[in-house]
Amino acid sequence: MSPVYWVVLGVVTAFALSAVGALVWAIGQGQMEHFSAGARSIFDAGEPVGTPTDAFPGTARRGEG
Amino acid sequence: MSTRAPAAEPTVTLRPELAARAEIDRSCRAPVLVFAGSAVFWLVAGSLMALLAAIKMHTPGFLTSWEPLTFGRVRPVHLNMTIFGWASMAGIAVLLWLQARLARARLPFPNLLVAGGVVWNVALAAGLVEISIGHGTSVEWIEIPLFWALGFAAVFAVVMAASLTMFGRRKVVHVYVSQWYLFGAVLWFPFLYLMANVLIHGGFTSGTTAAATNWWFAHNVLGLWLTPIGLATIYYLIPKVIGAPIHSYHLSILGFWSLALFYNWAGTHHLIGGPLPAWLVTVGIVGSVMMFVPVVTVGINHHMTMVGHFHRLKDSPTLRFVVFGGMSYTVVSVQGSLTSLRSINEVNHFTHYTIAHAHLGVYAFFSMVMFGALYYMLPRLTGREWGSARLIKLHFWASALGIALYWGPLTIGGWVQGLHMNNPDLPFLSIVSGTIPYLWGRTAAGVLMTVGHCVFGWLVLGMLQPRHATEQATQPSGVAQPGEVEA
Repeated sequence: MSPVYWVVLGVVTAFALSAVGALVWAIGQGQMEHFSAGARSIFDAGEPVGTPTDAFPGTARRGEG
Repeated sequence: MSTRAPAAEPTVTLRPELAARAEIDRSCRAPVLVFAGSAVFWLVAGSLMALLAAIKMHTPGFLTSWEPLTFGRVRPVHLNMTIFGWASMAGIAVLLWLQARLARARLPFPNLLVAGGVVWNVALAAGLVEISIGHGTSVEWIEIPLFWALGFAAVFAVVMAASLTMFGRRKVVHVYVSQWYLFGAVLWFPFLYLMANVLIHGGFTSGTTAAATNWWFAHNVLGLWLTPIGLATIYYLIPKVIGAPIHSYHLSILGFWSLALFYNWAGTHHLIGGPLPAWLVTVGIVGSVMMFVPVVTVGINHHMTMVGHFHRLKDSPTLRFVVFGGMSYTVVSVQGSLTSLRSINEVNHFTHYTIAHAHLGVYAFFSMVMFGALYYMLPRLTGREWGSARLIKLHFWASALGIALYWGPLTIGGWVQGLHMNNPDLPFLSIVSGTIPYLWGRTAAGVLMTVGHCVFGWLVLGMLQPRHATEQATQPSGVAQPGEVEA
């Protein structure tokens, strides 16, 4: 069997292992804790939860913050 | 139109979080606009080439007297314009802006990234010329010769460096789920692209090994490049637009890690029935079926996040496009997993069904999400409002109806074609003739989508015009609103 197949399979496996490595790093960094706060991390005082931020022109304000 | 504020008001001081966001958006402006503007140009050009190719499918004598306009060249020109011109450049634009927003850090290397945009356009234009004059490689999705492909690889390196730099400078401790998806795209795909080009064009593969490498790569253009960028965008924009966190952050994390583990194995399902080692194809099938896990988690999460907010689809252009894209992701992924099964694949293989499936992924999912993202980003980067709500709605309906008209009939026609091809009693020519009505439907759908793209191009052109000194900025993220001024 051609060694190219093993090269392709090796890269595929390396990608999967890099994902496992990133997962281990994330767990070690505490990224898998406090999910509720994580989900809200894209909001801030300027664009808080409960504030829509997009509208068709001419219909409403595009963003409240 | 939104509430307005002066474009340049020297005495205005924004609240800190607004000023910070305005500063981040400002740092993205030049590079993101170069990539986004170029993407829209390639979208319109690629649509015209698509129409030409579609017409040739049912009227093969149309415009054949000049070699660059023959089907064998027009079709790869369309593919490369839309994948490496439109989809990849829009994807990079959104990726850069989104990552700066997520890290709450300025975009680094703006001049280098602008230069990268220029290099990308030059490499693509040169590659398209090479294909048009008959110098394409004839390897699907890697038709551009290696020399120009290295131009893309160089730009990928700059984008990767910018991405890692922003992550290193991030001011938010938590790594939001969109960031994980963006890392998947920006760290895996460039290696895959380089590896596939070197293996195939460097003389390391031939025959079946070239085919295996080719389809491992081609499938992962969607799997490890467009899909992570698309999903990252959905996970950011739906919550931001409706003002509510995603339904289940647990599911979103499960979805990312399962995609990271399974998607890049799936490509060899394209070679079911081919003369490859059976285990290699089976690995691809297993990877494809395992994709049910991330797809179901993403589908449930997006739907449940939208529950109670569907009325907002009337008000928000971004939400319309992004939700349409998100729903299409679920459909195309379930269809893809089922299509990888040998019993189904033996019917749909080598038929128009596969073409419809590919467009469901790249257009109905990814392109619609990118449209939504650009509708959200550009006002914030340019300080102007979109020119017309009616034209935005026209763009949406032309695109949505266009892809529905494309996918539905071509899927049915392709399946019928496959059943007929498996019947040895039917003459091949009669099977080909039987597909012609579906191909006319495809052309009609292409006209609709092209109209939508021209409208979108017109709107984007209006956004990119320089603003006159007397013109006021509309409300993008950083412009002060009444009550938001500190001093």
